Amino acid sequence: MRIFSGQRAFVLQRISALVLLACIAGIALRLAIGPQVTFTQWRTWIAQPLGASALLLVAAALFIHAWVGTRDVVLDYVQPLALRLTVLTIVATGLTVLAAWTGFIVLTHAL
Amino acid sequence: MRFRIYRFDPDRHAKPQWQDYEVRLAASDVMVLDALVVLKAQDDSIAFRRSCREGVCGSDAMNINGLNALACITRLADLSEPVTLAPLPSFPVIRDLVVDMTQFFAHYHAIKPYMMNDEPPPERERLQSPEERDRLNGLYECILCACCTSFCPSSWWNPTKFLGPAALLQAQRFIVDNRDHAAPQRLEFLDDVYKLYRCRTIMNCTQVCPKGLNPAQAIERIKIELLRRSA
Amino acid sequence: MGAVASIGHRISGILLVSALPFAVFLLERSLAGDDAFSSLAQKIQSPVGRLALAVVAWASAQHLFAGIRHLLMDVGIGSSLSAGRASAYAALSAAALVAAAALLV
Repeated sequence: MRIFSGQRAFVLQRISALVLLACIAGIALRLAIGPQVTFTQWRTWIAQPLGASALLLVAAALFIHAWVGTRDVVLDYVQPLALRLTVLTIVATGLTVLAAWTGFIVLTHAL
Repeated sequence: MRFRIYRFDPDRHAKPQWQDYEVRLAASDVMVLDALVVLKAQDDSIAFRRSCREGVCGSDAMNINGLNALACITRLADLSEPVTLAPLPSFPVIRDLVVDMTQFFAHYHAIKPYMMNDEPPPERERLQSPEERDRLNGLYECILCACCTSFCPSSWWNPTKFLGPAALLQAQRFIVDNRDHAAPQRLEFLDDVYKLYRCRTIMNCTQVCPKGLNPAQAIERIKIELLRRSA
Repeated sequence: MGAVASIGHRISGILLVSALPFAVFLLERSLAGDDAFSSLAQKIQSPVGRLALAVVAWASAQHLFAGIRHLLMDVGIGSSLSAGRASAYAALSAAALVAAAALLV
C-alpha cells in the first residue's frame, strides 16, 4: 500500500465498521435485554479497565470511520484545492479534538 | 405519440431547451430509434447518433425517460408519454442528443485495453482452458456505450479523475485474462484514491447496462483482488 | 433503489458526524454526577428529546443497515442487480421501522 493509496482508506473503513458493528450489537443487546442502566452502574463500568478500554476502542473506531467517510464526501463535492484543504483541515482538527476530549473524559473517570 | 426532446445547437442558441413533438407511428415502429427516424423526417434538425440498430454498437445511447438506454432496443410500448429524450447525463453536449465521448475514451485508454504478454508468441494460439475463458464472461461483452459511466454519481462529481464503471470493467477484463501477464501493474495503477476508489457501489451502472453486465460487481472484485494481493 | 439507499447512507453519515460533538458532550454529562445523569434521562423523554432521538436512531439504523449491505457486497453476497435492489429496500425499510419505534416506544 502506498501513502495515499485508496486501499488503506477502504480497509480502515471496513475494519472500523466491523468493530463498531460488534460494539453496537453489544450495546443494543444490553440496553434492550438488561435492566435499566443506573448512574452508578454506568460509572463503575467506565472505572474498570475492561469497560474503559472498550469505550476507547469504540471511540477510536468511530473517529477513524468518521474521518474516512467525511474525507470521501469532501473529495467528491469540494473541488477547488485551497477550499478543499481548508475544509479537510477543519474536519481533521475537529475530529482530533473530539477524540482527545473523549479520551480525556474516559481516562479521568477510569483512573 | 408524444415526445419531448432536448435541443441544443451551440452555433445558434446559447441555452438548451426542450421541444415537444407529436408523431404518428406505424405498427412497425417498435423501438425508440424507429420513432427518432420518423421524428427526423418531420424535423431534419434533430441530431443523434445511430448505426447497427440492434443493440451491439452502442452509438445511440441516450437518456430515455430518466434512465440511460440504447434507443434501438428500448420498446416504445414500455414508456410513458411524453417520452423524454435527453443526451447522456454529465457528458458535454455537442448538439441535441450527441455527446462528446473524449473523456470516456481517454479513461478507457488509460487502463491499457490490450494484451500485455512478453513471452514469445506460440506456434498457433495462446491456450486458454474453458474455465479460464469463462472468467471473461460478463466482461468482454461491453460495447462501450457509456450508459453506465454517464449514470454514475461518482463520475458526475469526479469526471476527470474517476475512471468510471466502463473503463474499470474493461480493466477487470484484462486482469482476469490468463493470457495477459500485466495484472500486478494493472492493479497497481488502479490503487489510488480516485481512479478506482471513488466507487461507492451505488449500482446505477448495473441498473442501466443495456447488455445486462454488472460493472459494480467487477469493481468489487478488483477491490478484493487488491486486498488479497496486499494482505 | 440502490441509489436511494446510497444517498441515504451518505446523508445519514453526514448527520451522524454533525451530531458527534453533541454526543461527546452527552457522554461527559452522563458521567458528571447522579443529578446530571437523571436530568439527561428526563430530557430524552421530553418531546424534543424524543424527536432528536428518533432522528439519530433513523440515521444510525440507516447508516448501519446500508453499511452491512456494503460489507456483504464486499464478500460477494448480493452483488447482482435484483439482490442489490432487494437489500436496498430492506435497509431503507428497517431504518424507517427503527425510527418509528424510537418515536413511539
